[in-house]
Amino acid sequence: MDEDLKLNLREVKISLQKAIHDCSTRGLMHSTKWLSELNFALKHIKVDALPPHELAVSDDEVDDYYLAKSYFDLKEYDRCAFYAGKTSSPCNKFLHFYARYLSMERKKIDNLTELFSGPEPKTSGELQQLCKELRELHVKRSMDPYSMYLFGVVLKRLDLLDEARSVLAEAVALEPLHWGAWLELSMLVTDRAKARLLSLPNHWMKQFFLGRSYLDQQMNDKALEIYYDLQNAGFNGSTYLLAQIAIAHHNKREVSEAIASFHHLRKIDPFRLDNIDVLSNLLYVKEMKTELTYLAQEACEIDKYRVETCCVIGNYYSLRSDHQKAVIYFQRALRLNPQYLSAWTLMGHEYMEMKNTNAAIQSYRQAIEVNRRDYRAWYGLGQTYEILKMPYYCLYYYKQAQQLRPNDSRMLVALGETYEKLEKNQEALKCFYKARSVGDVEGSAILKLAKLFDRLLDVEQAATAFTEYVNENDSAEAENKSELSQAYKYLANFHLNKNELDLAYNYAQKSLNFEETKEEGKALLKTISQKRGLVEDVKQDMVVEDSDAND
Amino acid sequence: MPGDSDDEMKINAERPINIDSYRKLVRSHIDLHLYTSALFWADKVVSLSDGEPEDVFWLAQCMFLLKQYHRAAHLIQSKGLEKTHLVCRYLAAKCLLEAKEYTGALNLLTCDDNNLSTNVSGINSVLELSDSPIEGFPLSNVHSAVLFLKGCVYEALDNRSLASECYKQALRSDVYCYDAFQALVQHQMLTSWEEKELLTSLPLSSQCKTKDEEWLVKSVYESLLKKYQSVPPRSIVNVHPRLQGNLDLEVAKAERHYYACSYAECFATTTEVIEKDPYHTTCLPIHIACMVEMKKGNALFYLAHDLVDLRPDLAVSWFAVGCYYYLKGKTDPARRYLGKATSIDRLFGPAWLTYGHSFAIENEHDQAMAAYFKASQLMKGCHLPLLYIGLECGLTNNIKLAEKFFLQASSIAPTDPFVIHEKGVVAYQNNDYATALKYFEDALDKVKEINEVVIADKWEPLFNNLGHTCRKLGKLSKSLEYHREALVLSPLNPSTLASIGFVYTLAGNFAEAVEYFHKALGQRRDDTFSTTMLTNAMEALVSDSPPYEGAELTSDCPPVARLRPITPNQSQTSTADQSALTMTLPEKGTTPPRSHYGDMDMTDSFQDENNS
Repeated sequence: MDEDLKLNLREVKISLQKAIHDCSTRGLMHSTKWLSELNFALKHIKVDALPPHELAVSDDEVDDYYLAKSYFDLKEYDRCAFYAGKTSSPCNKFLHFYARYLSMERKKIDNLTELFSGPEPKTSGELQQLCKELRELHVKRSMDPYSMYLFGVVLKRLDLLDEARSVLAEAVALEPLHWGAWLELSMLVTDRAKARLLSLPNHWMKQFFLGRSYLDQQMNDKALEIYYDLQNAGFNGSTYLLAQIAIAHHNKREVSEAIASFHHLRKIDPFRLDNIDVLSNLLYVKEMKTELTYLAQEACEIDKYRVETCCVIGNYYSLRSDHQKAVIYFQRALRLNPQYLSAWTLMGHEYMEMKNTNAAIQSYRQAIEVNRRDYRAWYGLGQTYEILKMPYYCLYYYKQAQQLRPNDSRMLVALGETYEKLEKNQEALKCFYKARSVGDVEGSAILKLAKLFDRLLDVEQAATAFTEYVNENDSAEAENKSELSQAYKYLANFHLNKNELDLAYNYAQKSLNFEETKEEGKALLKTISQKRGLVEDVKQDMVVEDSDAND
Repeated sequence: MPGDSDDEMKINAERPINIDSYRKLVRSHIDLHLYTSALFWADKVVSLSDGEPEDVFWLAQCMFLLKQYHRAAHLIQSKGLEKTHLVCRYLAAKCLLEAKEYTGALNLLTCDDNNLSTNVSGINSVLELSDSPIEGFPLSNVHSAVLFLKGCVYEALDNRSLASECYKQALRSDVYCYDAFQALVQHQMLTSWEEKELLTSLPLSSQCKTKDEEWLVKSVYESLLKKYQSVPPRSIVNVHPRLQGNLDLEVAKAERHYYACSYAECFATTTEVIEKDPYHTTCLPIHIACMVEMKKGNALFYLAHDLVDLRPDLAVSWFAVGCYYYLKGKTDPARRYLGKATSIDRLFGPAWLTYGHSFAIENEHDQAMAAYFKASQLMKGCHLPLLYIGLECGLTNNIKLAEKFFLQASSIAPTDPFVIHEKGVVAYQNNDYATALKYFEDALDKVKEINEVVIADKWEPLFNNLGHTCRKLGKLSKSLEYHREALVLSPLNPSTLASIGFVYTLAGNFAEAVEYFHKALGQRRDDTFSTTMLTNAMEALVSDSPPYEGAELTSDCPPVARLRPITPNQSQTSTADQSALTMTLPEKGTTPPRSHYGDMDMTDSFQDENNS
């Protein structure tokens, strides 16, 4: 990806259009949508005389195909499976398997009485049967790339991830334009080592895949680089790329850039709901209430029963501290799609707010089950176990979160705090240092460090840390007044003990500004002035002075 | 004119009348199932011909067909025909059998010499008596029928070894006597080895007219023989191409699929057969078993209702009802209807086995064993009852006894992977892991022979047990491999996931262990083993691993750091944790292999449904 991406856009467009046809004949709606969006971005490219699309079904099976496909489109999956299963052409076969899979999924959702219910034995049995049939085909090597994709999806569902990865890689190698397969694969490539093991085709679609998986792995800069390259290569009109770039900014906590990109996107494509929940998260973080309300209303008008809409409304209620209602909306989102990751995580947060740790744990667990790379869920789990006073669990979850976001100080601070609770001070120190070195976002690491040193009676270190802390927070409007006042007090005392009276005076003065330490500050100032007097009085006898100071 | 009519009306006793036309009339009435008319005219024929034996035979035949058994037997015996005509003797005996007068029937069949010995001359003594043949019955057929009847009588008298001997003789004297063949095969009287021997001993070449015919008979019989032992589903015996779609052969194919645990294929085949012939008697038990296995409750409900409405007199109808209740977990009604099935046909093995299962799933080991014992008496040639008795013994912690039953089972079916597997489990419970491993691997080889492409899901316990055994033997990586394979067969299985976690814990890979315990708990939330293990592993992991990802690079720390290396004190705690883990090992060891039972039970539940 280092070399410049150069694409023959005409060829790209021709292949895109062929792929759109292929996917839509097979009822792969999401891939069709994605490909069509991309194709639309190349609207300015003129392609003359598209090659005639031939159906992937032999002539004598075309009747079965039309019948099955019409049932499929009307979501009569069992019926579709019945008719498509009677014939043997790959396209019909795929339709048969896919309809069966979708039917199972829909029944699972329909039969869902409780969100937290375990796996249903009946559907999992059917899924296994489907998996068995697909595996037989795969072993016999009589499988087209689309069925292979479905096989991968089923394997993933059954938690056979290694096999799923290799099958999906095989599928994309055979049919590189099927975005759905890439997408599934990107969710399975949880780290770079796994990506390296796969032999992926060197196709321009791979760039989209890489961008996506980098983004999922929180390697946002790399993802951005790829996306910019793609934009420069001709896809600058792609709404997908715009959204992805916005998400990258969101991940990098560059909130205003992200919001700007989203607004840009909404101007181009005002009725687009995809990824809109990310925007609502951003607005939530920024506490932009009116904006969020507006967005919620807007989304509600476009489609009430979209997961994204439900998440936006959930966020809206959460911002208004109406957690009960927020939970209801997240639950609605999950009823629509139990695999919708961010709803699980957000619901976990809501339960945390409502102090319902049990439900919070369940929600976070589900989130992780859907996507192991959701660091927020891991972090949330850590927090719940902290409340439950189970430090080892807590440590484990924080560590998972930290692995996913190695440069996020919040996890490191959380880790350090937990180590502190376990009296593992050395580890705690390490964590706070690390948090400090990766850019202390909340500014708490240095304070924690200082306090820890204080507790370890390492006065020098503590003082250095405190000094750094107050230097950083001096100008700020001092959100955390008591911490700051305590820091000033500590420093005043420290310098007093060291007989650095000017510094001590300085800090003591500062501590006067706070209610909490006013009295103590005054007392300190008194001592300082006494000492000053002493210094002037007994200038000659340094020894005496020293011993006095140490009292 | 009146004189004429007088002439006509006056019957001249001396003038011969055409009796033959009346005889023909009787025959045609019989063929048209107008038995009463046939009886009436046959009676007249007897009077007309003045008790011609052949006519008496036909009269008796009509009585038999009208279910007047005692009358028929009495007729023949009063005329003394059973002493002179073999066919009459046969009919009389048949009547007595139908009338449930077994000793009388036996007396007739064994003649005066009362020699019950099984030697050839003893059996044939009846046949060697003076015989005046009745037209239309070839001698060899009559002989074979007599022998078959004798077998039936013996069987009714619960003398199964003599019965099977008679059946064999019957089959030998007429290779086309399928009744005898079926009696032998369906009631599981012979072991596979004996069956093979019987087939080779049949005088096919002398009784079949051409080579082709000989081959036809042989191939048909072969394809119907013991489907259980070492017959891969795809290599079925070659039969005549015209017979390819024959329902009996299709049923045999379905049965093979059933034993290979490929229920979907089996069900597809049986459904096809049932569609063509909705009440195919040999197919129904397999079809029902398949429905139970695939948990098709609704379809079974409908089928059972249909059967009971149409044929309440058949054991299989009530068997279907019993199976439905068994499937729904309602053991009481299940037992009631299965009991009804066995009272209709005492030899209906599948019903006895299911009866046993209905107790077994409720942990009523003694009663289950009683039912299985009954089944084992009925089906001498079948190892399944023995296997189940062994399982029940194992569950009541009577390993010694269990072992004995498994040995018996394996003497009948030495290549059955289920039996080998159970032997392995016994060895495992005796802490003889090397032997257990040998058995399990052996079973695995056998399974692979049966399932060529994809191994059936039913074998998940075998892989897990292999995993447990390898773990006990310290082959951790091998153990992981087996557990992984088990996971492929039965994904998201919590006990497999917990086992993998456990192996990882022993291997000191706490990160993976924690992962797997988490997964296991995700599937089964209140699993105490996983919960405790998870806590242990987590603590071990925390003290094992660096405080944060990438912490090894101490250069990351700012210069103020004067950090000492991790104190030896801490690393000691981690090893202590490990030893604590190994302490829990034996407890764990015994639990997982147990889990095979539930699965095994279901697996074999209806393994031999076709024994009706």
